[in-house]
Amino acid sequence: MSRKIMIVLGLLVVASMILAACGPAETPAAPTAEPPAPAPTDEPGAPAPTEAPTAAPTEPPFTTTRTGTWVDEVSMSVVTSGSAVTQISAGAIDIYGGNLATPQDLQAIRDAGLNNSEQYGLYYELTFNPSGPVFEGTGKLNPFAVQNVREAMNWLVDRDYLNQEIYGGVAIPKFLPISAGFPDYARYVDLARAVEAKYAYNFDKANEVITTEMEALGAVKNADGKWTYNDELVTVIILIRTDSDGTRVPQGDYVSNQLESIGFTVDRQYKTSSEASPLWVLGNPADGLWHIYTGAWGVSGISRSEGDNFQFFYSPKSAYGFSPLWQAYTLTEEADVVSEALALNDFNTFDERRELFAQAMDLIIPTSYRVWLIDGKGFSPWKPGLAVSYDLAAGIDINPLWSRTLRFVDEAGLPIEGGTVKWGNSDLFVDPPNPIAGSNWTYDSQWQNATGDYAVMGNPFTGNYIPNRIDRAEVTVLEGLPVINTTDWVTLDFAAQIDVPADAWIDWDPAAQVFKTVGEAYPDGLTAKRKSVVYYPSELYDIKWHDGSNMSAADFIMPMIMTFEPGTEGSAIYDESQVGALESFKSSFKGFRIVSTDPLTIEYYSDVWYFDADWNVTGMWPEYGYGNASWHMIAVSNLADAAGELAYSADKADALSSETAPVEWMSYVGGPSLEILSKYLDQAASESLIPYAPTLGAYITADEAAARYANLQAFYADRGHFWVGTGPMILDQVFFVEKTATLVRNPDYPDLADKWLAFSAPKLSEVEIDGAGRVGIGAEATFDVFVSYQGDAYPADEIDNVKYLLFGADGSLIEVGEAELVADGQYVVTLSAETTGKLAAGAAKLEVAVVSKVVSVPSFAAFEFVAE
Amino acid sequence: MSAESQPLEQTSGSVKAKATVSTLARVGKYTGSRLITLFITVVIGVYLTILIANMGGYVDNIMRGEIREGIAMRLARDENYKNMAPEDRTAYVATLVSQEETRMGLDRPFAVRSVSFLVNALQLKLGRAINMTSDSGSRLVSLIILERLPATLLLMATSNLILFFAAILIALSLSRRYGSFVDKMVVGMSPTSSAPPWFYGIFMILIFAAFLKWLPFGGMIDSPPPAEGLPYALSVLKHMILPVSALILSSIFISIYNWRTFFLIYSSEDYVDMAKAKGLTDKDLERRYILRPTLPTIITSFGLLLIGIWTGAIITETVFQWPGIGRATFRAIGLYDTPVIVGLTIIYAYMLAITVFLLDFIYALVDPRVKVGGSK
Repeated sequence: MSRKIMIVLGLLVVASMILAACGPAETPAAPTAEPPAPAPTDEPGAPAPTEAPTAAPTEPPFTTTRTGTWVDEVSMSVVTSGSAVTQISAGAIDIYGGNLATPQDLQAIRDAGLNNSEQYGLYYELTFNPSGPVFEGTGKLNPFAVQNVREAMNWLVDRDYLNQEIYGGVAIPKFLPISAGFPDYARYVDLARAVEAKYAYNFDKANEVITTEMEALGAVKNADGKWTYNDELVTVIILIRTDSDGTRVPQGDYVSNQLESIGFTVDRQYKTSSEASPLWVLGNPADGLWHIYTGAWGVSGISRSEGDNFQFFYSPKSAYGFSPLWQAYTLTEEADVVSEALALNDFNTFDERRELFAQAMDLIIPTSYRVWLIDGKGFSPWKPGLAVSYDLAAGIDINPLWSRTLRFVDEAGLPIEGGTVKWGNSDLFVDPPNPIAGSNWTYDSQWQNATGDYAVMGNPFTGNYIPNRIDRAEVTVLEGLPVINTTDWVTLDFAAQIDVPADAWIDWDPAAQVFKTVGEAYPDGLTAKRKSVVYYPSELYDIKWHDGSNMSAADFIMPMIMTFEPGTEGSAIYDESQVGALESFKSSFKGFRIVSTDPLTIEYYSDVWYFDADWNVTGMWPEYGYGNASWHMIAVSNLADAAGELAYSADKADALSSETAPVEWMSYVGGPSLEILSKYLDQAASESLIPYAPTLGAYITADEAAARYANLQAFYADRGHFWVGTGPMILDQVFFVEKTATLVRNPDYPDLADKWLAFSAPKLSEVEIDGAGRVGIGAEATFDVFVSYQGDAYPADEIDNVKYLLFGADGSLIEVGEAELVADGQYVVTLSAETTGKLAAGAAKLEVAVVSKVVSVPSFAAFEFVAE
Repeated sequence: MSAESQPLEQTSGSVKAKATVSTLARVGKYTGSRLITLFITVVIGVYLTILIANMGGYVDNIMRGEIREGIAMRLARDENYKNMAPEDRTAYVATLVSQEETRMGLDRPFAVRSVSFLVNALQLKLGRAINMTSDSGSRLVSLIILERLPATLLLMATSNLILFFAAILIALSLSRRYGSFVDKMVVGMSPTSSAPPWFYGIFMILIFAAFLKWLPFGGMIDSPPPAEGLPYALSVLKHMILPVSALILSSIFISIYNWRTFFLIYSSEDYVDMAKAKGLTDKDLERRYILRPTLPTIITSFGLLLIGIWTGAIITETVFQWPGIGRATFRAIGLYDTPVIVGLTIIYAYMLAITVFLLDFIYALVDPRVKVGGSK
């Protein structure tokens, strides 16, 4: 009997092991993130320029008298991405702020009945080694040295298959180095669709082109149908990334299978980023150690302009120009001019830019140094009964709107005031936070952007900017620059010349602790390409720091001092690692001027410009690139840095450290830094220190300084850290080892909680086409187009354009045109007799692309008909 | 008599003195040679760790690649950089790369750095991490380790001590009940220990956290954290249940089986049967006739257990998000942070060497048959 029991028990254990082994493995969070894609940035010391809000995407459904955040508290903790959905379902957390990327994740979210964001995540491509056609290192053939072979890879891979099989159909097939969800794609949708039609999956064509080229290279197929060269098999080495989100393994396997099916022998080398990087980035392509790499790139926000991607991905002039691979890229002179012009915005009109894009499609894309595969999507889940805004590119945690819109909702979807949200993410407190050169991890920015505030906020659906702490702005750019204005809070002017006033500040004298004026530095005068004037509201100084101090003009001047101080030799806080960034900044910075302190008005001059007027606004704020900070906190931490007891940057800390006297990378929130900062706070308080007195002395009184330091001492005594912002949440408790922290509502935050409710959900349009199923060749035809959002007609004033694209039976693009507006949500496409006359008999397709003003992602619909 | 006996006493005394001197010399000689041997072992072990952690210097290439990629991605978003003249761009990138390589020590050949790592490690100069920071933000390797140590000690000590003593006591009992149902059950269940603790951990998380919702998925305390004191301690205790259970469950049966087999050998000795025939109680039998001769083995096992406690359990801690040294090790390996890896290794190596060294003396204390430095 007992033996039977033992057998049963044993079988149970074995069965449980097998069942468990069949389940998905727990995957620890990767220590590093994918490299983000290029996106515009602004000068240091100031947040990125902004654009005014256009029409509200959705109407606020609710109003309130509550200020600040809807919730009382957010409790952050670390959870693995693999368990996020399960933990939300079990009630362990309410929301996961990070990115889930696979279709299995999305399915799990749906199965669990959770809500989720949907944002553009990684985008995937195949990178080819163009060296050869015979590798110097191995003497072996490299078919991908031939442009036609690389280009034929476009036809060899079925992107729809990849999307359906690997990404569950939620991703988007990708053919270009611009994202299908960003404005440039919407602007040039006809150009993009033409390329997509050209490179649509065509296995036979791929095989035919590659066969021709291989034979021209001297390769022959053996009896097994395998390509050989000099009597050796032509083996393609493909580096398949196994880390990241894991989807590049099936991608790489699919591409390998396709190559094998046309006669290549494939060596699949599965590698992590660290293992592959020395080969494809640093290695000499001529060594012949690889042919194809499964690449992926990330986005950190909606990019309003992706023109520079052509240079970034295809030119030796790329920021990746250090890489031997990029140096192996050769563009024709004409293509080089096009990529440079798009990278530097060197054009005068948008028509010129469009022409440059068209040329890039013809001259650069066919080089096929890269073959684009998929625009991936990411998902962040949260439980029913909770709501939050998210960025269409960055998701939840990077955009500061998360803290301002996170709320519990009732069954009708209306906000419920109060409550504690349990927030999970993959990590927390990765590096020491300090506003000058502290942690820049996403995991830390999620709580930093909740505790900070900004002059402008990024529109999560368009990538434009919205005024947050400024009244209005004026922008002046040089005549001839193709800048447009789509906002009502920015006025745009053009000028033949923009002179920088002689009393504008342009540089810093660390010894005298005063700014150098333009008049002193440039006696003959100075001009700029762009000027912005920002008008702050009269109640600006009513805003309180978390320690209770009122904001003042000195808080706005200190960031500019700190832009120069660490990188300027002779400064007490000189940091060699900051020199390069400062020099880079100075190369385009042309000065700034405090026009008025109350109300605050600041002029800013620069040679960097963007073609959206709002992006040209430099909305200065006490934001230092790695967090908000008041002048008095910076004064304290400067003392610690100057004394060599702490260092803002990791580089300086390492440089100053010795075995016997270590210097810590400064942390405002924990560790050995706190005691040192506290000591210098006491010193500053005892002296009523006015930092940089020759400059800030005009803006700070001794009494104000004393009051501020006293406030900071009280804050530190209460909270136990120095992270003092002006945002809607206050960092309350920090548990480093336990990896948890709590944020509480800032009761002094001035804005109503419903301020950002208009951005609750992206107003993605739904498009339908109706018309005759048969169209006579040479006869006029009309089609009705219906554009709606959640069943309601999409307002015409929120639509930028409705384009149609007519494709012939062979997939070629016959015509591109604009649909005519009939009424809100209703358009008509008219194909003239001449147009239909160009159709061959057979199936044709009409595609409509709707570009909204309030969401950057275009919507598409297609209608197939028979031409006869 | 006394006159006659004096030489004998003198002889006896001098023999004793000679024996003492001889013993001291033997012990001293043994101690010296043992320490030298152990030190050489530590040096070899640590240097091998340095070589392996750096893939013989290949990690330099990886880090150089990562530095350049990181800088390229940063600059790609820098409008000022884009506006710079091509030669200025190149110079700027070169400067940034050089600064970062210098900071990470890549400006010196790996061979030189590897010796520096070794020398500093042997002196317990743990230095600064390359990429990692402690949870509170320090780059000091000592702080990185010390911050994680309490959590690991709490988890590993609790589970390992429970496991160790429970296994011995149950095994001792089973050795006297050979063939009983419980004995057969333990034997039958012992193969379950082929699965690692994290395997059981995932199961237990699914059952007790996801399905029953009785216990937390992981972490060390609730979020939001409870107040300090008893609520905090209870919260930690609640979070310990699953990882401790997983660690115990994964090894308990095989441990009992091992010890039970070991004790069984001693239980069937003639002198045990003789003692049993004399009518000694089971307790006396176990304590005096089974445990005592097996004490050196038990002590050895316990000593190794104690030093094993502090290394943590890399994957189990990761599965349970337990903020211990195991996870720190996991991260250090992932970041190729040699100073942290070497720091963890050298401490373990020294502790192991000291334990091995002390065990020789402890054997002599608990077992009269053992002679320190003796040939047999």
